[in-house]
Amino acid sequence: MNDEHDDKLIAAARHLSTEISPERDLWAGIAEQIEAPKRSRWTPMLAQAAAVLVLIAASSGITWYAVQEDPILITEIRPELMVEQAAFGSRYTLGPEFLDARDSLEAGFDQALGRLSPEQRADVEASLTMLRRVTADINVELNKDPTNVYLQEMLMKSYREELALMQRVGGLTRNVMRRNDI
Amino acid sequence: MAALLTATVTDYSACMTLATKTVAVDESALIAKAKRSDTRAFESLYRMHVDRIYGLCLRMTGNVAEAEDCVQEAFIQAWNKLEKFRGDSAFSTWLHRIAVNSVLGRIRKSKREMDRIQVVAETAPPPVTMHDTGEMRDLSEAIDRLPEGARHVFVLYAVYGYTHEEAGKMLGIAAGTSKAQLHRARRLLAQQLEEQGFEA
Repeated sequence: MNDEHDDKLIAAARHLSTEISPERDLWAGIAEQIEAPKRSRWTPMLAQAAAVLVLIAASSGITWYAVQEDPILITEIRPELMVEQAAFGSRYTLGPEFLDARDSLEAGFDQALGRLSPEQRADVEASLTMLRRVTADINVELNKDPTNVYLQEMLMKSYREELALMQRVGGLTRNVMRRNDI
Repeated sequence: MAALLTATVTDYSACMTLATKTVAVDESALIAKAKRSDTRAFESLYRMHVDRIYGLCLRMTGNVAEAEDCVQEAFIQAWNKLEKFRGDSAFSTWLHRIAVNSVLGRIRKSKREMDRIQVVAETAPPPVTMHDTGEMRDLSEAIDRLPEGARHVFVLYAVYGYTHEEAGKMLGIAAGTSKAQLHRARRLLAQQLEEQGFEA
């Protein structure tokens, strides 16, 4: 194989072990790498984009429903609700005032739901479920990336949509969500 | 008796040839399976080659932790590049090239070669020598103290039997440079071993 004259040194080197067993099994580390699903760095972005699409669809559906069904139920969202900037801590819990507002809305909301036809009620409940799922998904993403302003805004929007939906259905306008409530 | 012995030797030779062919066939089958993302087949390939790859990495780096990292990196790279393996060379040679690249890449990236030399100087004996005995251990220690370039060429050429062309290709240097590095390695080794009565 070699093209040079072998001397004693080279000859001696040929007797050195070429096969040495590792002191520990290295396969586990290799398996961990090759068996792990390849995680694309686009995944979080795609998740965010999907959440936005779901939110837009839900929002559009709710608006369409409200316009179609009963103009009386449509209540304008007060300017205080149009929060643009949000600052969240490591935990994304709702403030007590927001919870009070939602509880109050929910009390009337259940009654309002009872006045709807089964089909309309199913639509509203489906929309609310979807909004809450979106909110939960955004919270999960925010826990991974707490400083993501884009996600923070999406979270605010999903909360607003939830309250707005309940207001539209229940016709309640007394309770207003403020930025500090969240 | 002589005829019986000849027959036995012939049988043994035939068995070995058959065994070698079987191993080659098995390896090809395992490679084909691994190419289809069969991690068990790849694990079998790993088990078949890990000792030789680890030996190479350990002799080139002289450091157990670095060698272990290089082995893992080499096999992960092999898995990722397996599609590109066309069988133009032996699978073991292909793996060797990846392992050498892994060693060189780590050295370039970490720039810890000087640290490694210091660690080797402070720690006796170096881990690689644990696998050798007597004069072989002296030689192994001396190889481990060689400067990086000379050590890499000496390990590939003298220990693993690659030609200067093959070693140069793996190390990204010309065959002439490989010869020069070997000459340097031999000179340095001779100096080191002279005191220990090893005739080079």
